[in-house]
Amino acid sequence: MLYYIGAISLILIGMYAVLTKKNLLKIVIGLSIVDSGVNLLFISVGYVKDATAPIFSLPSLTADKMVDPVPQALVLTAIVIGLATTAVALGLVIRLYDHHKTLNINKIRQLKW
Amino acid sequence: MEFSPVLYIAIPLFAAFLIPLLGKVSKTLVKLTPGIVFLYLSYGSILLFPKAMEKPIVQVVAGFKPPFGISLYYGATAAFLITMVTIVGFVIWLYSYKFIIREPIEKYYMLFMMLITGSTGILLTGDMFNMFVFLEITSIAAYSLTAFLRDKDGAEAAFKYLLIGSFSSTFYLLSVMIIYSYTGTLNFADIAGKIDLIPPMAKGFVLVLVLVGMGIEAEMFPLNGWAPDAYSQAPSPVGAVFGGIVVKAGLYAMIRIVFLFFKTPEVMQFLIFMGILTLLIAEMAAMRQHQIKRMLAFSSIGQMGLVIIALGIGTMGSTSAALFQMFNHALIKSLLFFAAGYLVFHSGSKQIEDLEGLGYDKPVTSFFFAVGALAIIGLPPFSGFWSKLLILVSVAKAGDIAILLLILTGSVIEAIYYLRAVVKLYTRKEVPDNVRRTPISGLVAMGVLAAIILYVGLYPGVIEKWLAPAANNLLNAADYIKAGLF
Amino acid sequence: MRKAIAILLLAIVGYYFINVFIHMPFGEKREGVGKYYLENTVKETGAANVVTAIVVSYRGFDTLGEVTVLFLAATGLGAILFGKRGEKRRLQGASVIVKTTSMMLYPMVVLLGAYVFVHGHLTPGGGFQGGAIIATGVLLMFMSYRHFNVSHNALTWIESLAGLTFATVGLIGLALGTTFLQNFLPLGTPNDLVSAGIIPIIYIAVGFKVGAELTGVLDNMLKTIR
Repeated sequence: MLYYIGAISLILIGMYAVLTKKNLLKIVIGLSIVDSGVNLLFISVGYVKDATAPIFSLPSLTADKMVDPVPQALVLTAIVIGLATTAVALGLVIRLYDHHKTLNINKIRQLKW
Repeated sequence: MEFSPVLYIAIPLFAAFLIPLLGKVSKTLVKLTPGIVFLYLSYGSILLFPKAMEKPIVQVVAGFKPPFGISLYYGATAAFLITMVTIVGFVIWLYSYKFIIREPIEKYYMLFMMLITGSTGILLTGDMFNMFVFLEITSIAAYSLTAFLRDKDGAEAAFKYLLIGSFSSTFYLLSVMIIYSYTGTLNFADIAGKIDLIPPMAKGFVLVLVLVGMGIEAEMFPLNGWAPDAYSQAPSPVGAVFGGIVVKAGLYAMIRIVFLFFKTPEVMQFLIFMGILTLLIAEMAAMRQHQIKRMLAFSSIGQMGLVIIALGIGTMGSTSAALFQMFNHALIKSLLFFAAGYLVFHSGSKQIEDLEGLGYDKPVTSFFFAVGALAIIGLPPFSGFWSKLLILVSVAKAGDIAILLLILTGSVIEAIYYLRAVVKLYTRKEVPDNVRRTPISGLVAMGVLAAIILYVGLYPGVIEKWLAPAANNLLNAADYIKAGLF
Repeated sequence: MRKAIAILLLAIVGYYFINVFIHMPFGEKREGVGKYYLENTVKETGAANVVTAIVVSYRGFDTLGEVTVLFLAATGLGAILFGKRGEKRRLQGASVIVKTTSMMLYPMVVLLGAYVFVHGHLTPGGGFQGGAIIATGVLLMFMSYRHFNVSHNALTWIESLAGLTFATVGLIGLALGTTFLQNFLPLGTPNDLVSAGIIPIIYIAVGFKVGAELTGVLDNMLKTIR
């Protein structure tokens, strides 16, 4: 239960940062926090009480004493994708800084609605 | 090796990984590779077309049957849309051949192929998380291509697109999470069968997440703020890919999920309402634009609004009309972007005012632009006429005169700003003699599109006979479930 | 003003969000595909690590997509930052302690990363994790030494070849008449290093690819500082 609330708070904090912060880097960090929150939430969904990691390394481990492996596999993919998005975002920040010499998003808002 | 749906994804990937190595051998080889890939894929899609129209081809990947493995669902709708994607992709490649002259060229072709692969993947997949992965492939390729020209507006447009697009994928991933936690499976057909395991409040939340998440990709109001900037700052062929292919894939994903899991009258009403808002607001915004590519972008959004209205009505006739409109719009919008690209190139400016007189200086390019404009307004003998007519007929049959009038209002506004641009082209003005010619590859690309538009306009039956199975595949959830879980 | 609207919006969204999740069962066993995977992985794929088997075998298509996403990000970054590459990193060299320690740690970190991705089907970890560890080791060297360089040519070759390996292994499955990414090698005994068919091959290719790509991305970004 606490895990859910903690992860959701992370997501909300990250979204708050994206919506209100003015510094481009802080916005990208906010995006990264949202990604972490979503992944944490996903893994918590797979938790089973008193169960262990889904690896059959010892013969004594049986299938019904293991956590759900599917969210872990999906989160693996999601983390990498989040990383890729952050990398492209940072590349764009470098370009924007190059052109405008500032990281303030208000000064960069040139294209009209 | 028989042509199978997974090749739509495997072959472009293979080619994309190969391009850096080919680039060391020869640049021409790099430029030719996507063309070969698209030709092969178009050929394959035409081969598989009749089979898919009869019965959906469900192909498993990695040898495990769904729902334990991922499956590709190549039904009638997917076949119809993918054939459109591969043909348009081929034409866009042809246009890019001489249009893209700025380095780094090989990265452009890699990103371009991946953008189309991602869209094809969204259309093909039968698994929820797989759709997320392909959505991300499409998005990241799109962000990079928007900033491809490396000017400051491009970077800004790409950054805005990236922020909004990340929200889209986050929302979609959250919906996958909730669905998985209640139903325990990720396969579309399987979830559709088990959808009632989800309690109502969670179901409503998932619906909102999906509508917002995929609505951003489908450019539904008010989630389309990223689109005008992205379309206008990207290079013109990329604008054509966005408006012709990417937005269709996003719309298909949204509609597929909504129709399979949440098909209730309230949701359909909501879709119609949002479609109307999208159409009217976009058309009115388009009228106020001074830059030609932004005008085309808003027009795209408006057309998607029209398609959403037709899909929202939900009858067989309206869904067929919506698919027909998607097909036509992909071709017409690409033609318009191609022509606009060279017009901007020749006049040196993106403003509509500065296009004055180009009709006489560059007659062929301007002619193609005029063809596109007339087609999108819906005038005969072009294909746009038939699809718009079908939509209006199906709306009338559903008995909603108010919607009919609103659509006509939108069409009138559209006609005003397109004709305004065409008139500007043909206003006589002293233009300095411009020695730059539009390259042959661009003219051929535009010519192919214009020819198809004219042909379909004169013989709509060619496309119309495939619309019924495609629409049926989209509407009929029970059939989908039966075929998907063999 | 803007902060107030944002907080209000987030409060509404957060309220519904938490409401949905409060009613979700936590810590209970889930029925569904997870159970099937746990019971049948060792039999069907020969791998001991169920998560690896899911990522590479059952949902191998997702992994192909993920590898593509990384490749795309590296390419996109290259396209966006094209023309900005200086030749030198304008970082200050680090102190002697940092330099010596990094030099000692670097080979060990790379070895750890290689171990993680080679044993992906037996122990926690796998291609992505191993590749990330290797890239971290290289980053350590980048930040300690101003003149430590990795050849971009080598990186491009590794990336492309690894990607082609993955795609080819999948296509071989198709060519042999079965499905794409079918496991066509013998499964061997579980918990052996050489077992689980194509899983180690794919994960090794992925490990190399991820390591090369992340290194390239880091190098690209570090070199833009003039």
